[in-house]
Amino acid sequence: MSEEPVVNGVGGTDEQTDNLDDANAKKTVKYDSGAADLEKVTDYAEEKEVISTDDISGAMTIIGDRRLKEAADKIAKEKELQKVSIKKSDVELIIREMEISKTLAERTLRECHGDVVKALIALTN
Amino acid sequence: MPSSQPLPPKENSLFKRILRCYEQKQYKNGLKFAKQILSHPKFSEHGETLAMKGLTLNFLGRKDEAYEHVRRGLRNDLTSHVCWHVYGLLQRSDKKYDEAIKCYRNALKWEKDNIQILRDLSLLQIQMRDLEGYRDTRYQLFMLRPTQRASWIGYAMAYHLLNDHDMALKILETFRKTQMVSAPFDFEYSELLLYQNMVIQESGGVLDAIKHLDMYKENIFDKLTVLEIYGSLYLKMGEYHLATLCYEKLLRRNQENTPYYLMIKEAKQLHNDECVYNMLCGYRKKFPKALAPKRLCLTFASGNAFQSEVDSYLRAGFHKGVPPLFVDLRSLYKDKHKVQIIESLLEMYVNNLTNFSSFDSEDTSSKEPASALLWVYHYLAQHYDYLNDIQKALTYIDMAIAHTPTLIELFVTKGRIFKHAGDAYEAYKWLDEAQGLDTADRYINSKCAKYMLRANLIKEAEETCSKFTREGVSPMENLNEMQCMWFQTECALAYQRLGKWGESLKKCHEVDRHFTEIIDDQFDFHTYCMRKMTLRSYVNLLRLEDVLRSHPFYYRVARCAIQVYLHIHDKPPTDASSSNEMDTGNLAPGQLKKMLNKQRKAQRKAQEEKAQALAAQEKRDMHKNRQQVTNTSDEADAMPLDELLPEKLERVEDPLEQSIKFLKPLQELASDNIETHLMAFEIYYRKDKLLLMLQSIKRSHRIHPDHPMFHSCLIRFMEKLLKLDNIQEEMQLVLNKQLEPILGGMSAADINSQFLNKHQKSLPALVQGLKMKYKLDNCSQKEVLDQITKLDDSLEDVNIQTCSDILNSLMNGEFGEVGDIAEEYRKTCYKRFPLATVFHTDQDRSPMAFWSNSYKTLNETHENCVSN
Repeated sequence: MSEEPVVNGVGGTDEQTDNLDDANAKKTVKYDSGAADLEKVTDYAEEKEVISTDDISGAMTIIGDRRLKEAADKIAKEKELQKVSIKKSDVELIIREMEISKTLAERTLRECHGDVVKALIALTN
Repeated sequence: MPSSQPLPPKENSLFKRILRCYEQKQYKNGLKFAKQILSHPKFSEHGETLAMKGLTLNFLGRKDEAYEHVRRGLRNDLTSHVCWHVYGLLQRSDKKYDEAIKCYRNALKWEKDNIQILRDLSLLQIQMRDLEGYRDTRYQLFMLRPTQRASWIGYAMAYHLLNDHDMALKILETFRKTQMVSAPFDFEYSELLLYQNMVIQESGGVLDAIKHLDMYKENIFDKLTVLEIYGSLYLKMGEYHLATLCYEKLLRRNQENTPYYLMIKEAKQLHNDECVYNMLCGYRKKFPKALAPKRLCLTFASGNAFQSEVDSYLRAGFHKGVPPLFVDLRSLYKDKHKVQIIESLLEMYVNNLTNFSSFDSEDTSSKEPASALLWVYHYLAQHYDYLNDIQKALTYIDMAIAHTPTLIELFVTKGRIFKHAGDAYEAYKWLDEAQGLDTADRYINSKCAKYMLRANLIKEAEETCSKFTREGVSPMENLNEMQCMWFQTECALAYQRLGKWGESLKKCHEVDRHFTEIIDDQFDFHTYCMRKMTLRSYVNLLRLEDVLRSHPFYYRVARCAIQVYLHIHDKPPTDASSSNEMDTGNLAPGQLKKMLNKQRKAQRKAQEEKAQALAAQEKRDMHKNRQQVTNTSDEADAMPLDELLPEKLERVEDPLEQSIKFLKPLQELASDNIETHLMAFEIYYRKDKLLLMLQSIKRSHRIHPDHPMFHSCLIRFMEKLLKLDNIQEEMQLVLNKQLEPILGGMSAADINSQFLNKHQKSLPALVQGLKMKYKLDNCSQKEVLDQITKLDDSLEDVNIQTCSDILNSLMNGEFGEVGDIAEEYRKTCYKRFPLATVFHTDQDRSPMAFWSNSYKTLNETHENCVSN
């Protein structure tokens, strides 16, 4: 190990050898141990395989079904919302007065079935 | 998908070695291999190699070159997942998480099942709290690697965070079944069980949670937590007997844990204070050495029982010499009756200790040490300070100091008394005295610095702190680096008082950045906690980070920043010198006089320093420019943070927009604090955003409809509405509908007089009501002035803050031309608060001279009392 003092892992220019690189790493561990320790632990370790495949096929199907249902629900809700027709001027009014993003303005307006007064009341709550 | 630029076997193995070097942090070697590939003329523009070289350079601190290489690599090979992944990693290391997510998504387009990219993506999604995206990514990881533990845990946690407890529990339970208990002390399995229990509890299944514990408690090694969970679950279920048993077991482990006693009170269903008191007496007998039950007895005892309890508690404290005795008992002072009992006991002690060196006058056999009297004096000083009897407080603290002139606590108390009396400068002097008695004490050092800042002595405070900051660095910088938020907040407030708006904003932004940094710091924990199975702590961490800016530290600086930005909006700074001139409007003349010399000195110093800083800044800029010239890349200056320059901050073009940045977190996280909405109103009032004003009005009305400032906002809002006539139809509709329940069809004048009638006794309410009265009708000036300058004893909540607010509004013309009424009012206040520097003028006698007269007479009377 190199004895050269290295503070906080600074240093390390082109000429230095790998050896010093390692030394740097070590020193870093010493100086800001928290973050460096974390790194030491999180790196290298590959996940061990813990579960045999037999156990999980059942669970996989439950999870798969659930996923499909979730996706379907979401699409249905989005579709429902997209059906609502909204006026561009209403959206602009909401954006201007409430200072919110266009997406949020449109969404609120759709959720209120295009009723701008209702949407504004909802937003001022 | 294979790369569009395949490498022949020799180069390919070199490339693999670059990857390995990167993983093992052997960056120098990695560069060597990259050079070997790139020096081959055929592959000098090989995209993936260039990208990897860039990534390696980034970890060697050569950021600009890194970006250049990675971008060049990407341009040469746009269909390579490696190049996109690397670009994402680079963005991530610069905390540009949104950009990084986009890069990962591009990478996944070309290699949709790449585990490493999916993992990195999931980390960013949880960091950005894109929980649905996180769930989807975890699902993909789960399907790709169903045999790995992290796949299960991560997927379950995604559902837990989305509050889908059923699904989370299903996954966890299936996973748990596959777990074999391998070691006799399998800590990770124990943590998994506790996490599972946490999810069950959050799903509302109290009974299920108990069953779960019953079944697995043998495998859980955190026995304390198991007991505590049992206790709270039994309480929720109404199984009071079992709950009591749990908490008694816990008490045997730790008798000083106050909440346990309160839980037993719950469990025993004791609603009557006397019963609680009796129960506590039982525990006091059982644990004679424990302090907690003794102290709790005082909270629940009353009348004679309280008298004898507090008597022995105080005697023990004074006998032993417990410096924070008053702080310990302060919460009892809510009860006026208890205050009286304590006070009479204290007076008795003073008498008996002076005459017989004993607490008793009849049985004087047990002599107390001389220090007992000292501690009684010290306590009395704090006692009277709390009750706002400044004269008595000062008398006692001086008697204590005369008794023992070397006790640091006494000087701190004396300083605190002056602070409460409104003389920050005198307060600081006593703290400095205290600090001088023990310069190696960090607590007293910090306390002194804080008092200096309260007295607007920023330079001095910095110097004081420098005794404990790292040598060779400027203390200010070091304190910023150490995230010393209390110091920076007090600095911001001091600069605000001095009217140095830019400097104040700088401090506010520094603190804001600390909060951002804390949020960024959670990144490492996403992988670490999953691997270590500390899942409960991890979920708690995520929840803490979600509401981080609700912390009072943030609230204080955000409020300061918003106030400063509002001021900049109202009175934009004119020329360069204005920031250095003192804003005399904010300081009462007395205060001004007192601090003038100090400030002048400090200012001169500050100016010199500023000149130096500017010079240094120029140098740095030049350096940066030179760097930029040498760099061909257009975005080479991708510095993560801009430097905060007071001059720039003070001259922002959109102070209101800036203030909204500080407001937003408060609206989201501190929406139950009325001040949040009152500040929001002030901002939107200046922006003329009617509906956003309405929003603040509605929200504050819901929290506290009688708040004086809310009243002021409401009246001003109504005024504004009257003045505007071209309000869009839809908006008018919304306004009418929403204001109806608040106004009840009344006019502004009606509401105001109703408010004034309702709050005749409260000064802060009167101030706002009268201000509005004048605003609505200028003819009422005489009447308003008569009422507002009255300062008799029937009024409540009379304090320095409110009175100085009145004085300021009289002086700055809020009530029109008032003649010498302001001066008259100042004198009235001066009489009421003789020490408060805000009411002093140059012509006034030195406050100490005034003080020492009344003080002497008081001393004499007291001595007479004592000797009698």
